[in-house]
Amino acid sequence: MNVHTLSGRQRALPRANWRTVAVPLAAVMAIALFAWHQPAFLGAENLIGILRQVAIVGIMATAMTFVIMTGGIDLSIGPVLALSGLVAVLSLDAGVGLPLALAIALGLGLAIGLLNGSLIAFGQLPPIIVTLAMLSIVRGSALLLGGPDLHAVRGQLAFSFIGTGSLVGLPFSVCLFAAVVALFVFAQRRTPLGLLVAAIGDNERATWLSGHRTRLVTTLIYGLSGLSAALAGLVLSSQVHTGSATYGEFGTELDVIAAVVLGGTQLVGGRGSVVRTVVGVLCLGALNNAMNILDVPIDLQLIAKGLIIAVALGLGQLRS
Amino acid sequence: MIRRPGAAALPAFFALTVAFFCVFAPRFATARTFEDLLAGYSFVAIVAMGQALPILLRGIDLSVGAIVALAGMVAFDLSLIAHLPGWAVLLLALAAATLAGAINGLLIVGLRLQPFIATLATLAAYRGVVFAISGRQRMPELSTTPLDDPWIVSLDTSFDIGGALGLSDALALPGIPLSFVVTLAILLILQLVLSCTRVGQALMAVGGNAEAARLAGIGVSRHVVLAYTLSGLCAGIAGLLLVARLTTATESLGNGLELTAIAAAVIGGVSLRGGAGSFWGPVLGAFLLGVVLMGLTLYGISQFVQQILTGAILLAAVAHARWFAQHRVGPAAAAPG
Amino acid sequence: MDDALPIRARAVTKTYGTQTVLQPTDFGVAAGEVRALVGSNGAGKSTLMKILAGAIVPDAGEVRVGGASAPLGKPIEMLRRGVACIYQHSNLLPEMSVLDNLYLGHFAARRFGWLDRRRQREQAQALLARHRVELDLDGPVGNLPTVKQKQIEILKALALDARVLLMDEPTGWLSVADVARLHETIRGLRASGVAIVYTSHILDDVFAVCDTVTVMRDGQVVADAPISALTRERLIELMVGDTIARQVEAVAQRPAPAAPQDAPRLRVTGLCRQGVFRHVGFDLHAGEILCITGLVGAKRTEVLQAIFGCDRFDAGAVELDGRRVAFKSPREAIAHGVGLVTEDRHREGLLLNLPVAENLILATLRRYCRGPLLQGARVREAALRWIAALNLRPPEPAMLVQALSGGNQQKVLLGKWLDLRPRVLMLDEPTVGVDVGAKAEIYAALRAERSRGMAILVVSSDLEEVMAIADRIVVMAEGRVVRTCAAHDTSIPQLVRDFGAVVPA
Repeated sequence: MNVHTLSGRQRALPRANWRTVAVPLAAVMAIALFAWHQPAFLGAENLIGILRQVAIVGIMATAMTFVIMTGGIDLSIGPVLALSGLVAVLSLDAGVGLPLALAIALGLGLAIGLLNGSLIAFGQLPPIIVTLAMLSIVRGSALLLGGPDLHAVRGQLAFSFIGTGSLVGLPFSVCLFAAVVALFVFAQRRTPLGLLVAAIGDNERATWLSGHRTRLVTTLIYGLSGLSAALAGLVLSSQVHTGSATYGEFGTELDVIAAVVLGGTQLVGGRGSVVRTVVGVLCLGALNNAMNILDVPIDLQLIAKGLIIAVALGLGQLRS
Repeated sequence: MIRRPGAAALPAFFALTVAFFCVFAPRFATARTFEDLLAGYSFVAIVAMGQALPILLRGIDLSVGAIVALAGMVAFDLSLIAHLPGWAVLLLALAAATLAGAINGLLIVGLRLQPFIATLATLAAYRGVVFAISGRQRMPELSTTPLDDPWIVSLDTSFDIGGALGLSDALALPGIPLSFVVTLAILLILQLVLSCTRVGQALMAVGGNAEAARLAGIGVSRHVVLAYTLSGLCAGIAGLLLVARLTTATESLGNGLELTAIAAAVIGGVSLRGGAGSFWGPVLGAFLLGVVLMGLTLYGISQFVQQILTGAILLAAVAHARWFAQHRVGPAAAAPG
Repeated sequence: MDDALPIRARAVTKTYGTQTVLQPTDFGVAAGEVRALVGSNGAGKSTLMKILAGAIVPDAGEVRVGGASAPLGKPIEMLRRGVACIYQHSNLLPEMSVLDNLYLGHFAARRFGWLDRRRQREQAQALLARHRVELDLDGPVGNLPTVKQKQIEILKALALDARVLLMDEPTGWLSVADVARLHETIRGLRASGVAIVYTSHILDDVFAVCDTVTVMRDGQVVADAPISALTRERLIELMVGDTIARQVEAVAQRPAPAAPQDAPRLRVTGLCRQGVFRHVGFDLHAGEILCITGLVGAKRTEVLQAIFGCDRFDAGAVELDGRRVAFKSPREAIAHGVGLVTEDRHREGLLLNLPVAENLILATLRRYCRGPLLQGARVREAALRWIAALNLRPPEPAMLVQALSGGNQQKVLLGKWLDLRPRVLMLDEPTVGVDVGAKAEIYAALRAERSRGMAILVVSSDLEEVMAIADRIVVMAEGRVVRTCAAHDTSIPQLVRDFGAVVPA
């Protein structure tokens, strides 16, 4: 297994063994098998459809990679996704211009993320509890704002472009996903932030003693997670032309975490890769697509997802 | 048991809150309200006690809500579709819940998964199972059929203490629901086990320092599985009580219950770092939440605000516990591991 | 060896990843024998102890207790067979009472596991009386000072009435009086037929109480002899191998350079922190190595951390180059050119799952950035430079630090701080768990920096080390400075006397 270290692309010693590639390999094999059975699966339309589906989860999973690498978790992304779309739709309805509406929605996501981060980093509270509590607070706030109803947005072509438009033949949402991935990969490999995220996850105290503002970095990482959830929420609301406090329902955070875990990032923090998360996102998307084509009922899909997470993590544990 | 310095804070706070709402919220200080409180939050208290066990062991159980739904749906199916006798329905539903809890424990111990992700995964899986076996989906006409098996329905009775003591003319005393009695019974059993038996001592040890417990010869895996199994069992009991009250079961039963249970446990002084806590704390914490939420309802505050408040209370409880722990740290804080 | 030995290991071996920490080894102890198990860190002593106690599973081999083969890797099995172990790391539960900790896992109980606290308490009081220790049985262990906690760990093992007692570095935290008491207890147990295995870095202990000694080096047993057949020098030689031992001796004999006359680079006066240390003061000059020594518990680490900005101090002053400073965080200290090599490299110093290169530049990260970009090429170049300068083995910048030996890990940690080119470098117990070869290389590096003008402050409990590298020495006891002197004006016996000095209130 190659590790992108600062000293160049080298084999990380001791050598990783077959178990690291077991899950992605199994996924690829399963996909190949399925594609052979259902040729329509590999059609351009279906593939682009998969990409469009995964863009939303993918944007969130990319940012979640950093959060998990610091040894934390963000369970509040679902309601943030909902709130962001809702706020954008309501703002547009109220006559606010598009740039401002987008800014408010994204700003809100960022603010919630930063609040999570400061409670976790400066308040020293456990991430599970903080983000679980924030999940409830944000969901309640969204419901207070817009009720459980669906708010349709009409005639806002520029807004709709986000979720339904195309750029160089690809859906705009996929382009956004790609841009977010590019940004995070660049940050991980070429900026000090990438090293600090891994360092904090591996040994926060040592990193602090080496003179770094670890709490600030941690807060920032959660801020990025909230921001990405807000962006994903904009994409979703734009796709379905509706904003609602009920979106991002249970299962969203599970999909995101499953993608990160499938990509091999361990929950204890320290090691991780945005690129591998993207692989995980694509595998999960392909799996979802396959299950839909096969008309697998929603309950079995839930069970399957739970199993996949358990197995992927279990294999990862066996390695250590 | 060691006397903890902050132990008196919770009952005092509880009393204060009750007093506050008695004064400021209309129609709070009535027998009816307390009956509703006891009936409405006893099952929360039971789930909170169950949740205390994984937290004592430095873990967490996010799947309790799903297990509640599971127990409820199993009872529903067995009673209305399979027409099994009531006592069998109860036993089998509890068995299902206990099994679900055991699976949680085995995943954590066998695959060495972190508790939160293991129970997050089983949360999804169990909800899926609830949908898969749902009698309401298979036979939609049953969704309006109430459960009327005497064994099940009797779980929802109340005891008229006032009448029994002959005071009902002078004082309107609240009826004591059976669910509250069950809560007290579970509290007694669990607390006795924790304080006075080897198993309880072992659980505290595993939570405080699992490696030290292992080196002292305590079977760590065994006790982890036990904790999660008991958590599942408590969820199952709560599920049955809920179903009795509603006379039906839904797929979304217990949705969000895990948050309330964790909040109750944390408020009740169970430390998230493991190895410290009790069972009466979560019970008090659950009823405290009940007092606050019901008081606010009577005050006219919307349900959505209550959702916000539950989250905020959890944050406040965790922050307070953290602050408290930091300020009573002894000279051994700098000791090497 | 006789098969009916109280405990015997046959061909046990253990490998972690690519490192074989224990080669196939035979080891046995007779009843009424006190066996010393010595060797540098990484020699395999702790691993062997843990296998004997059932704490870890060997990759091969067997352990026989009283002639019968025992299940491996299960502490309960060894405990049931009368094998007790005092581990090096704390195995106490801070939230539980002393009584519960003492009898954890075998608390007196009636039917159905109901705890019999009264009977257990009586037994505990008898135990305390027998060993002349005073403890509040009901208080939580977490509130007790480290010394008491260590006593409880020892009592915990003694309470088991074991036939085999394994002790891993039992005297590290104890006062001279406590050590003498422990030795007395050991002699008593020996007289009643208990087999005892005793590991220690402190050779004086070994010669004082042990009958026989097993020397390990690089995972193998290199010698097995009665203690009367060995001299101290011969023992060290066996532990570290001939040439390095001579190197260490030669280095220790070099005369110390003359004390510098110019103004101190770092001056600490009257430093106080409530309940921790009082009136601590010393001067540190450029081009000098100052050693602060004393018993564990003298609060030297706390002084360093207060200076470095990890912790506060309540009164007193710290002056850097004549200017008063009070760092509020390590970041501030580093910005002023002060570095701290912390005591526990695993918990506070290194990123174990990251490569060597990333660790080496962690404190100087900004220097390798141009704008928002981190320049991998310059990092690699710096890493290779330090690998050569410190003789890191294997010389692989991408190697994960956890795969290195203890000595090489410590060198990485040192390299990180040297890359800062600090004006003042503080080191806290820099050679704990480091083999003698690496120790010599670290001393050489420090001396090189000293001659380049760095002001170096070393906290060390190892008096041989102190006498080997210090120019000047400060002795602390119980949070106060009791003596300041030049190295050639004192000696090891004098320092030991200073350690035990009674500090005025």
